[in-house]
Amino acid sequence: MAEAVVESYDIRSVERAEVLRYLGYAGQPLTSELDARVDEMVGRCLEVARPRGCVRVFDVAGRDEGEGAPVVRLSGTALELAGSSIDRHLEGAVAVAVLAVTAGMGVDAELRRLSLTDRVGQLLLDAAGTALVERAADAAEASVVARAAERGLFANGRFSPGYGDLPLATQPVLLATLDAQRLLGITLSSSLLMTPTKSVTAVIGLFREPRAAGRPGCAECACREFCSLRAAGTTCRG
Amino acid sequence: MPTSRDASELLSAALAGEGFLLFDGAMGTQLQERGLAAGELPELLCLERPDVVTDVHAAYVAAGADVVTTNTFGANAEKLGDAASVEEVFSAAVSCARAAGAPLVAADIGPTGQLLEPMGPLSFDEAYELFARQVRAAVAAGADLLVIETMSDLAEARAALLAARENSELPALVTMTFEEDGRTFLGTTPEVAALTLSSLGAAAVGVNCSLGPADVAPLVERMLPWASCPVMAQANAGLPRVEGGATVYDVGPEQYAEAVAPMLDAGVTIVGGCCGTTPAHIAAERALLAGRRPAPRRRRDCLAVCGPQRFVALDAGQVGVIGERINPTGKRRMQEALRTGNYDHALAEAISQERAGAQILDVNAGLPEIDERAAMLRLVSELQGVTTLPLQIDASDPAVIEAAVRCYPGKALVNSVNGTADSLATVLPIVARYGSAVVCLTLDEQGIPETAEGRLEVARKIVLATDAAGIPRHDVVIDCLAMAAATDQSAPRTILSAIRAVKEALPGVRCVLGVSNVSFGLPLRPLVNATFLAAALAAGLDLAIVNPESQRMMEVVDAWRVLSGEDESARSYVERYAGRTDAAPATPAAPAPLVPGTSGALAQGPADAMARARGLVLDGRAAPMAAAVRELLAEREPLAVINEVLVPALDEVGRRFEAGTFFLPQLMASAEAAKAGFEAVREACAASGESAASKGEVVICTVKGDIHDIGKNIVRMLLENYGFAVVDLGRDVDPQAVVDAVVARRARLVGLSALMTSTVPAMAETIELLRDQAPWCKVVVGGAVLTPEYADMVGADFYARDAMETVRIAGEVLG
Repeated sequence: MAEAVVESYDIRSVERAEVLRYLGYAGQPLTSELDARVDEMVGRCLEVARPRGCVRVFDVAGRDEGEGAPVVRLSGTALELAGSSIDRHLEGAVAVAVLAVTAGMGVDAELRRLSLTDRVGQLLLDAAGTALVERAADAAEASVVARAAERGLFANGRFSPGYGDLPLATQPVLLATLDAQRLLGITLSSSLLMTPTKSVTAVIGLFREPRAAGRPGCAECACREFCSLRAAGTTCRG
Repeated sequence: MPTSRDASELLSAALAGEGFLLFDGAMGTQLQERGLAAGELPELLCLERPDVVTDVHAAYVAAGADVVTTNTFGANAEKLGDAASVEEVFSAAVSCARAAGAPLVAADIGPTGQLLEPMGPLSFDEAYELFARQVRAAVAAGADLLVIETMSDLAEARAALLAARENSELPALVTMTFEEDGRTFLGTTPEVAALTLSSLGAAAVGVNCSLGPADVAPLVERMLPWASCPVMAQANAGLPRVEGGATVYDVGPEQYAEAVAPMLDAGVTIVGGCCGTTPAHIAAERALLAGRRPAPRRRRDCLAVCGPQRFVALDAGQVGVIGERINPTGKRRMQEALRTGNYDHALAEAISQERAGAQILDVNAGLPEIDERAAMLRLVSELQGVTTLPLQIDASDPAVIEAAVRCYPGKALVNSVNGTADSLATVLPIVARYGSAVVCLTLDEQGIPETAEGRLEVARKIVLATDAAGIPRHDVVIDCLAMAAATDQSAPRTILSAIRAVKEALPGVRCVLGVSNVSFGLPLRPLVNATFLAAALAAGLDLAIVNPESQRMMEVVDAWRVLSGEDESARSYVERYAGRTDAAPATPAAPAPLVPGTSGALAQGPADAMARARGLVLDGRAAPMAAAVRELLAEREPLAVINEVLVPALDEVGRRFEAGTFFLPQLMASAEAAKAGFEAVREACAASGESAASKGEVVICTVKGDIHDIGKNIVRMLLENYGFAVVDLGRDVDPQAVVDAVVARRARLVGLSALMTSTVPAMAETIELLRDQAPWCKVVVGGAVLTPEYADMVGADFYARDAMETVRIAGEVLG
């Protein structure tokens, strides 16, 4: 039985273009002041963040139809992955990696400070934090790919509770499976929101044959109607 | 099996620091080895498979553990849900431990699993109640002691410890978990944890989990000088790594014991193990303890106070600065902040005082017409967001003091008690119960004694009482009360004599003084204040309550630290003052006002001033805005500046945002610049006695269950900058609280925000309640998941797709 092990990620930069994209940027000319503030907040974010994560791998135990939606069961954990989109994502998977990453409480503390002193700064740091935690998730994903390779397996892309029809209610057991509160300091509110707010959980399928990595397309995404990225002409896949 | 006399003697000796106590090792890893699946509640095994749990305990008893820890880490009402009751689990868990033949049974209490306010949703009282139920269950089940462990939030650890002390007689041992940078996830250091928790009455404090023993050692060594109780360490068996699909820890039993030995040498007396440790590790520690005696400990005997992240300690001979600015007395803007509930000004004062060198911040919310208790609690909570300095809780009502120190995540300084029988009887028990330090005013029923001897007598009376209440001398700070030299010219010398007399007659206590009273009624007060401060420091003053933004005062403190030897080799002084002369002050002078006629340049004319102010708004440049607006005000009425310059510029910003030529940060930066402009107008109005008209009041919040407040903050900022008064109730706000605010203010518009689908029902609930109790009030909703359809469904009057839209709606409703 493998316990989760904390990985710490050395993230020294986040892509400025990505930060601006989260802010709905579409090529508007920037004043040098705003430009400098973006850089300042990206720098502040890197300074206060402590990107960490942990990963565990479980074999797929089976799959049943459940009540109306299919459920993927894993061995050695109480975690169940329900819904047709995760079922498709994991179709043919022999094992599943479960991961959680966080930018840490420092970012939240700084956001709170800025919410009281500098709301533009808060907005910019928030976007920088999102970009940073996505980088951390990329790093965790890379560690999954590496672990899969050790077993001669291939990983597809990460899939988070809330994507498609994988319910957000998956979060409590997913985090408990990783012992994420103790190891990473991630807690859940009763409305299933994570704190530190810049945290990501996901599962990744491991297969015997290579897969095209991918997230659910916009067509099946539950967020499409509200998506500001689509409105700006891009997608969350870049 | 009841606890034997030997075992209870063992426990008393250990808690007195005269003997060792050996705890057990890991439970979780042992249960997983026996087949527990990840993500399941391990506590339920106490009911479902007591044999397995007893088996783990028995192995530790056989290895020589004095104390076994029950399998109740997560057994709180929140985590157990419907699976089992807290009482059932504790009862079964203690039975498992007894059945294993444990000499002593420690009921285990872990974190609630939720974050406390202000970072999370759980209130201090809710956390307290969760813990109190566990404590009562542990007592009913017959546990011998409580161990509160793996805490990363100092506020939560305090809530648990208070629940333990107020609901049982059992000793409560508290350990926190740290990362390799020496801080908990929430930023608490070992010193702060030891100081706060031992002052609050923990039977022992320490470190558990975190890291391997070699890395835990320096952390507990940092705790030792600050803990007035035994110090404990339960480290992990090193760092885990995955090897062939299994997790292995890299520190074996012998190596573990070797790393524990230096901790014992340093004075740690309670040891055991955490994740990855096994009965073999505990057996190795048993062997290590054989024949040893507790090592002598050296404690720091000095005044120390702390917030959740930073502590301030003053050894004898060191001086400290307490910032006096967060106090409404004689400060109009602070009064306004307290009255309106918009604390931005207080928060800004905290930041500037910290920058200016304050080490402790005095916080006073005493205004007759407000709810002082509520204001103090909110102020203390919001200050945590902007400063890490420890706070001095300044109130005359003991109920306000108690409310604040009860949930303050640190060790506060209470300001103040005095020599009257009533004050001593009401304030000192609070100080003792919550382990605070206390400022003591040398006045009593007869008023302020005129002579130094008289003040010493009052001080003596107070110190008798603090001694009797068990408050250590170094936590007692005497204020000899500065009086105005203008009304009694002998007063300053009396105060100086009183300080000397107190320091000599009452060894161990400290002296504090609110310095600036001395200059009342005199011209150039800073000069008198600074001179008196220097004299008071020479007389033995330890803490000065001053305005740290007064450069002259801070210069006196800096210079005194050289003369007293505190600033070794004058290092800080040289760093700060090298190359400076009196002719060149440290802070640059305010820029000359841009008034037409004085600048002499045509480009500074009134028409250009309008264009310039408009340009600053469009460019989002806040810094030069105040000067530009002041220039306009020389020529125009305040209302004209608002209606002809600021509002049209903001309208243009709004148009650009809607057309997509501005994106959100630009909109916000422009709003910020406009805000600076509005503030300049407001200041000018206040100075001339006029009041800038508000366009009406809007109550806004993020609904219950939702902790994302960025969208709401953007709306607030824009509304304010369009001249609306905003009552911001914050995030995760209870429906009834929204209604109460609306009713109290007869507000005509409420804005509700929700980010998550899961919190939309709370929005519907809030609106339903509003319709019932405040039918006059219109409701606008917005947030990432909201659509016009959703808005209809929840019964809102308006849907705003962005912040600009909210401004338009507010204009429509309130215009």
